[in-house]
Amino acid sequence: MSMFQDIPVDVGVIYEGERIRRKDMYVELGGPDVKEKFELARVKKPEEVEDGKITIIGPDIKDMEEGKTYPFGILIEVAGAKLEPELEGVIERRIHAYCNYIEGFMHLNQRYDIWLRLSKKSFQKGLNSFQYIGKVLHRLFKSELPIIEKMQITFITDAEKVKELYPQALQIYEARDARARGLKDEEVDKFYGCILCQSFAPTHCCVITPQRYSNCGAISWFDARASANIDPKGPIFEIDRGELLDPEKGEYSGVNEAVKKRTLGEITRVWLYTAFGYPHTSCGCFEGVAFYIPEVDGFGIVHRGYKDVTVNGLAFSTLADSTAGGRQVDGFHGISIEYMRSPKFLQADGGYKRVVWMPKEVKERVKNFIPAELVDKIATEEDAKTIDELKAFLKARGHPVVERWKEEAVAIPEAVPAEAEAREEAVPTMAPVVSAATLPITAGGYRIILKDAKIYAKRVIIRAVKSEKTEKK
Amino acid sequence: MSEKGLHVKIGELKSDLGLIKNLELSVGRIVEEKWAEPMGPTPFPSLTTLREWDMKLLQRYKPFYLPFCDVCCLCTFGKCDLTGGKRGACGIDMAAQQSRIVLLACCIGAATHTGHARHLVEHLIEKYGRRMPLDVGGLNIQVEAPVTRLVCGVKPETLGDLEDILDYVETQITHCLSVCHTGQEGNNLDFESKVFQVGMLDHVGMEVADIAQIAACNFPKGDPDAPLVDLGYGTVNIEKPVILCIGHNVVPSVGIIDYMKENGLDGEIEVCGLCCTAHDITRYYNRGKIIGPISWQLRFIRSGVPDVVVLDEQCIRTDALYEAQRIKAPVIVASEKNCMGLPNRTNDPADAIVEDLVSGKALGALILDPEKVGEVAVKVALKVAPLRKKFKAIPEVDEVLQKAKECRQCGDCRRACPQDLHIPEAMKVAMEGSLAKLADLYDLCVGCGRCEEACPAGLQVHSFIVKAGEKKLKEETYKVRAGRGPIQDVEIRNVGSPIVLGEIPGVVAFVGCANYPNGGLEVAEMVREFASRRYIVVTSGCAAMTAGMYRNEEGKTPYEEFTGEFTAGGLVNVGSCVANAHIAGAAIKIANIFAKRNLRANYEEIADYILNRVGAVGVAWGAYSQKAASIAAGFWRLGVPVIVGPHGIKYRRMLLGRADREEDWYVYDARTGEKVYVGPAPEHLFYAAETKEEAMVMIAKLCMRPNDTTKGRAIKLTHYIDLHKRLYGTMPEDIHRFVRTVADIPVTMKDEIVKILEEKGWKETVIPDPTLLPRLIRKKKE
Repeated sequence: MSMFQDIPVDVGVIYEGERIRRKDMYVELGGPDVKEKFELARVKKPEEVEDGKITIIGPDIKDMEEGKTYPFGILIEVAGAKLEPELEGVIERRIHAYCNYIEGFMHLNQRYDIWLRLSKKSFQKGLNSFQYIGKVLHRLFKSELPIIEKMQITFITDAEKVKELYPQALQIYEARDARARGLKDEEVDKFYGCILCQSFAPTHCCVITPQRYSNCGAISWFDARASANIDPKGPIFEIDRGELLDPEKGEYSGVNEAVKKRTLGEITRVWLYTAFGYPHTSCGCFEGVAFYIPEVDGFGIVHRGYKDVTVNGLAFSTLADSTAGGRQVDGFHGISIEYMRSPKFLQADGGYKRVVWMPKEVKERVKNFIPAELVDKIATEEDAKTIDELKAFLKARGHPVVERWKEEAVAIPEAVPAEAEAREEAVPTMAPVVSAATLPITAGGYRIILKDAKIYAKRVIIRAVKSEKTEKK
Repeated sequence: MSEKGLHVKIGELKSDLGLIKNLELSVGRIVEEKWAEPMGPTPFPSLTTLREWDMKLLQRYKPFYLPFCDVCCLCTFGKCDLTGGKRGACGIDMAAQQSRIVLLACCIGAATHTGHARHLVEHLIEKYGRRMPLDVGGLNIQVEAPVTRLVCGVKPETLGDLEDILDYVETQITHCLSVCHTGQEGNNLDFESKVFQVGMLDHVGMEVADIAQIAACNFPKGDPDAPLVDLGYGTVNIEKPVILCIGHNVVPSVGIIDYMKENGLDGEIEVCGLCCTAHDITRYYNRGKIIGPISWQLRFIRSGVPDVVVLDEQCIRTDALYEAQRIKAPVIVASEKNCMGLPNRTNDPADAIVEDLVSGKALGALILDPEKVGEVAVKVALKVAPLRKKFKAIPEVDEVLQKAKECRQCGDCRRACPQDLHIPEAMKVAMEGSLAKLADLYDLCVGCGRCEEACPAGLQVHSFIVKAGEKKLKEETYKVRAGRGPIQDVEIRNVGSPIVLGEIPGVVAFVGCANYPNGGLEVAEMVREFASRRYIVVTSGCAAMTAGMYRNEEGKTPYEEFTGEFTAGGLVNVGSCVANAHIAGAAIKIANIFAKRNLRANYEEIADYILNRVGAVGVAWGAYSQKAASIAAGFWRLGVPVIVGPHGIKYRRMLLGRADREEDWYVYDARTGEKVYVGPAPEHLFYAAETKEEAMVMIAKLCMRPNDTTKGRAIKLTHYIDLHKRLYGTMPEDIHRFVRTVADIPVTMKDEIVKILEEKGWKETVIPDPTLLPRLIRKKKE
């Protein structure tokens, strides 16, 4: 028995990418042509929610005029013993995915920006009431998020009613955002770990805190909390953060233990807010890389979409290559863009005071989170294409790193070349270069005598001598 | 950068340092090495280096033999009947003999690509020098030769570096070929292991060929926005002189295009191609035209459009010379491998050759100098075109209707037809005065011409079909994205996360030749199905052209409908046959770039990674050649399953897993060292599907891998179940084998599946860090 036998159209993940063009649509809900639209999830007391109740305020689909656009609101009210208001955002975002599972029903964007379309085809198949949409949502939410014990759904298409509720919804989003942004790592007991990437990079473990997003930029502390709650055996798990050992660098006893356990001892310590010492490991899907530039004693940032070479002459892929695969590499640090909006961003290294270069595109995205006095002091590809140009730019603009240049005596963190890992030089499969059994050569003050020597080498490999990197302990 | 052959001899040398007498220093090769990655365990593997890995695969995916021929007739003791467990005069049994023929076929295939690579590299070195750098994508492609790095453990930087690699590949192919001699290998699995070896070598040879031509001829360098180029008979301006190039080696075509451009004739002449040369023409010159896959050879030549036919190498009809003579088009053959009995005119003055060809004194010429080919072809085309007036070999409608009356309805044509087309019925309708049924056959015909050979009345059956379908032929105007070459490193990194998070259910490659069971439409249908489902779809060779011969309801071809990026819902044409190496390269790069596994000479580990983690499947819907066989073999060893169309059973054996044998599906959990049951994922390594419906369901199924995250598995299962329900009308029987934990169950099918799991007595298992290699079990650090 299918879960959706009584729904006139098919429901499945395969419809997720479906786009409905204007000429194929029956009606449009929300979207750019109407000012007021929203979707909202609220956690309520059990007595306030009637499970499975679906209410429609205003015209239902069958009462709508073909080809028209309507104002639209979806209100989802849930109750459950383990539900907390922090999870509202996570629940709300699932409306998008679940609506898209419905054949011929398209959902774009979120919150006050939603844009939905129903296709003519699906309408003709009988999808003519929000009752059906409501039933699908109710079943999917209950089956996927068992922590939801009760759920009622209200669809609002009445223009007046949407108008009335719209400002309230905006207020709720704002309060939620303020709360989320205000939440500090020190204020919570639980962090979350994610080992999803271990399926491809087995020694990586993400630590997700309120102020440090997952490297991929896809999982916030709230998301992680919801996932861990819903599927405690899943890849996202709770970390008791334990004792705060170093507030500056962001070392927590619980994090060290959890990461050590999950990486089978590969990684033993993690400093969350620095790119040096014991930086957070980098998986393979980080959105950007913070890379140390020894010549200016500052950090460059580059995101994955940047096609050119960065200011130090290396491209994203090269930089990414020096840190990927679940390793801790000094001065090469995989990050999410959202982490750049956090006050803890590279805190131990000086935060934005140490950031000297980033692509314009990234700068635009995080501009509001860079201290105002620094915005113009951080170069982009338009300001500097080489280290020399960068130096000149930083000097001209009076970037704080310039102060550091004068303190020659201050130990500069060890510069790490692109090949950061200590690598074994031994090449066991190579044929010996010298075939003669005895061949006394001693250098340094001694004479060398070679008599009737025959040296034959099938292959001689010349390799640049590199000083091996001493691992920082 | 490497230097060859250094020899120093010192009679006597006195210096402050010391005395040196009769010193001989001989160095075979000096290699300056800039690659810091440590050498892996298997550089330049010999026949047995990777045998253990092969046996692991062959234990799970046991060869299932389908003898195409029951006897062995290779030595003079034979023929030997091998049926019913009998052994031949040399002692060989049926299983070993089948594997032996597979090995022979794969050696031919690998030798063909490698020979092509050798010719190409030699020519390009002569033209550009050994030091020409191998730039195949600038900054965005730093892992320029993933297959070569993986197999050989070297990082080629210049054209000259490729010679060493070819030395190795050629030596190994020779060894593999020698294994086929009577009285060598006797065990079928050892034959199969060598099949894998030669398949792996084939990918190295292909990679060498393609990176050489990309770098030297400045083909698109991993460009997702490579230009859309014209495809189809209808795109050719028949008012102009037309030069048709057939084959795989672009060098003579480059000669033609360069000569044309240098002499201001660009735009005056149409340069078009059939088969892979066509791809490479458009990679070099985006005004070149692709007529279509190899199956278009007869119909296009007989149409009379080409004024000059230039043949290079591989997959060319061996009667191309005869067919060209029928339309009075001179032929230039440009490859040592394919001389067609024509006199060698390489050293003759170009104008003398032109004169002989134009006057008809010579029907064709062998010219082994690509620049001369260019000059002669262009001059001949200009002179011959007005004389020929597109003289064609296809009868007029009246003639077809008249001739059809001679049909005896014996049915020999249908029996000879590889697609079992209902030709006699169509001829019957033609006898009654209608070409409608013959026109229907046009869409399904793969253009082999066997019907004509079979016809006792000597009717030009194929020409009749082409005449009946002429309107369709002339309306063939499509677009294909010019072969872009390798996948960028950044693209690999971009898809890493969606693959982990399950948003991309798999990578499906439609490759190979055009022996399609029902014409080519099915390829386009499958391509669209999987691109719409947001799989990454990759194409190459004739399959890439066929995929473009389709328009959706908006009139767009698939290459216009889907993005050319290597991403969810992308449709990526990598290029010609030899560009297939980039598909293997992409799978390798996922392991290397995303997971940071060492690449250098680390074959087993990377193959183990791909088999257990990268949901990639190859589909060769119309595979016919020995090259296709060796390409497939290279994918098998790398852990990528291959599905072929119904003709694929003629490759003599499949590699099928047994889902019912639980013991076959255990892997090590690298975290704990425990053996864990992971279900039959992927279930088969080589599988022939009879219908496109069967193929599509199988594609979705074979994308599952033991390491799938729960979300990834849920999405892969959704596609598998959805396709199964739609195409078979039922729920798959084996769903319980692919659900490991409840979180694997697709959310929209929970009730239904939970019930099935209960009925089947399903038990929850863990999702391991999967590997078949005990040495990869991680040691816990304290």
